[in-house]
Amino acid sequence: MSTSTTDARTAAPDGGSAPTPPRDGRRTPMTPSWRVQRERLTAGGFMAPAVLLVAVFLLAPFAWTVYRSFFGDTRTSPFSWFDNYTLFASDPALFRSIQNTLMWVAGTVLLPFVLGLAIACMTNASRFSRLARLCVVLPYALSGSAVAVVWNFMLTTDGAVNQVLMALNLDSLAHGWLLTWPGNSVVMILANAWQATGVAVILFLVGLQSIPPETLEAGALDGAGGWQQFRHIVLPQLRPVSIIVIGMSLVNGLKSFDLIWVLTQGGPGRATETLAVSMYNETFLELRPGAGAAIAVVLTVIVLAASWLYLRRQLDVKGE
Amino acid sequence: MSAASGRTGSAATALARRRFLAGAAAGAAALTAAGCARGDSTSAQPGTTSISNDNATWDDGYRSAGRELEKITGYALRPLSNPSVTSYQQVVQMTLQTSKATDLVKWASGYQLKRLARAGGLTDLSGVWDTYAAKGWVRGASRSAVSYRGKVYGIPLYESYYVLFYSKPVFKRLGLSVPRSWAQLLDCAEVLKRNKITPFLGSQSGGWPATEWFQELVTKVDPHFYQKLIAGKASYTDDAARRAMDIWHDFIRKGWMTSPDFDQARGPGALKEGTVGMFLHGTWQAQGIAAAGMKPDVDYGAFILPTVRDSTPKSVIAESGVFTVPSRASSHEAAMANVGSWLAPPVQRTWSDFLQDSSANPKVRSGNPVVAQLQRDVAQERRLPLIRYWESSPPSLIQGNTDDLGGFMAGQTSPATTLRRMQERAQDEWAAWRRDEA
Repeated sequence: MSTSTTDARTAAPDGGSAPTPPRDGRRTPMTPSWRVQRERLTAGGFMAPAVLLVAVFLLAPFAWTVYRSFFGDTRTSPFSWFDNYTLFASDPALFRSIQNTLMWVAGTVLLPFVLGLAIACMTNASRFSRLARLCVVLPYALSGSAVAVVWNFMLTTDGAVNQVLMALNLDSLAHGWLLTWPGNSVVMILANAWQATGVAVILFLVGLQSIPPETLEAGALDGAGGWQQFRHIVLPQLRPVSIIVIGMSLVNGLKSFDLIWVLTQGGPGRATETLAVSMYNETFLELRPGAGAAIAVVLTVIVLAASWLYLRRQLDVKGE
Repeated sequence: MSAASGRTGSAATALARRRFLAGAAAGAAALTAAGCARGDSTSAQPGTTSISNDNATWDDGYRSAGRELEKITGYALRPLSNPSVTSYQQVVQMTLQTSKATDLVKWASGYQLKRLARAGGLTDLSGVWDTYAAKGWVRGASRSAVSYRGKVYGIPLYESYYVLFYSKPVFKRLGLSVPRSWAQLLDCAEVLKRNKITPFLGSQSGGWPATEWFQELVTKVDPHFYQKLIAGKASYTDDAARRAMDIWHDFIRKGWMTSPDFDQARGPGALKEGTVGMFLHGTWQAQGIAAAGMKPDVDYGAFILPTVRDSTPKSVIAESGVFTVPSRASSHEAAMANVGSWLAPPVQRTWSDFLQDSSANPKVRSGNPVVAQLQRDVAQERRLPLIRYWESSPPSLIQGNTDDLGGFMAGQTSPATTLRRMQERAQDEWAAWRRDEA
């Protein structure tokens, strides 16, 4: 089978030769072009389910969402050009939503990256590294909603954090953590970092363990100090892992929903909504599917642009 | 030889691969078929009618009332609960378009019902209403709240009043009595605050509770203004609304309200512990208070918020959920039979005993002495019944204004800014609603 495949492949480029006509009473062997065609069909057959699934469940709804975003939200849903998109300029809730999304992206990229790298470096060779790693990685195994419930117990005005502060006579620091912007968004980003750092630690540990010790020894012999070794030897070799961590965090930041929904439902007064929450809110609570579709389209464009930038960078690294 | 055996090996591998692929394809097909298969939870089941319900704690009540209904109609009730209000609304609206809709659907009255009726898919229940009206089993004033374009689409499920629950032992310990005037209410709050008890429970957690104090204060400043406001005939920036918001703002500033993220589910417990003095909520909360181990008229009482001025007409906010019948209900005939007997006194007695609330049938007295007393007071004082804010205007307007009120409670906006935003939204949403109606 493998031989025939090779034959077909080698025959294909110069195989423009016409198929030989069949002789009477004898079964003709498969011609190279038929083999190529059959192979293509087989490949297409294997790819078809995946392509079909993506087309039906991803591309078609997306096309419908783009189409819907150009129609109004009154009962007759008239064609309204870009009216739904102008909401981004006129609706203060959506402006705040964009601000929050940017905060979430910055927070979910920076915090897991910095904390993950620091924890991985500190626990890589230490005595209690396994236990420390387990403690950091464990929250990653929890669902977003479960994490939100735990943080809700801590962050409400009469929750655990304020009770601890009051027990320590730090009453002035106790306040409604989830009530005022931008503090409420910041604490939710921190809660998210608490959960998301675990996976960054795992990835950085894998990266650290794949660094050849000779490179560090060579650096030490050349008189490089701890920081210099980290900066000029370790960090460059962690670049591929860093790109994966940043890429994952970027997408997680843009799609953040569950933690916000369980903790504040985007409130109070829509102050903690991100674009993903606004999309849900406009569509299902405010009953404006057109506006919700417009937000979905804008969010998709942002995610695609960010992913493209990230992938391009990753490909550059591979090409080096 | 080796080549031959190699060929046999590759053929065997190919066969194994094909088997594997065939197995995987069959598995995927089976999963797809199972995924596409229709559930049978809403299918017709002999001797029962299914009810879509967004409050799982009421399931036992439906079953008990269903046993009474079965004696009359031959059909029991089979509750299907989805406790998340948001997903419940989506599921119901989608199910109405299918051929296997639930037989009965619990829904809100007012504009929530009008919006559902406007989309089509509900049965006209005007005949059922007229039969009830002839027997005196419904309040005539409720008809507009369950109608759309003159036709009735909902039969009242219960009738709750918005009241302040209070702990009798705490009031007794502090020498307080039920406030009959605004001045007495303020005095009560001051005493509670002095004793390190938060006087009022007010929360925006979960969204809609943010409207509770707004509706209560506006109606106690001027109930007729409230009627105009919810009909889109008065402005949110008018004096009465400003006055109500100023009072509320003052309460918050004085530390008389709980924090806006206080979970209302903890309200009964807070009342029992004596950390909260008064809990503004619907009388349907009586069931939750009983679950916290408080007995009516012994451990807790309830009163309607006094009017701000003595001369202000007395009113009460009434909330009534409804039963609707989808036109594509799986057992439509059985559903119509059950909805036609729902307000029958034996059924309502069982139902209101379960809820510990007042029945939608005015001839059925509540078994809960606190609620029964409220029913008497509402009747004797001829209080003006007013629809709850949540159902009072187009849903998009209410949802947006609820968000604004939540922001106000969290201290994000001043009373004036909040009202200005609410009014701007009211202008847009009322114009959109009227355009749609036209």
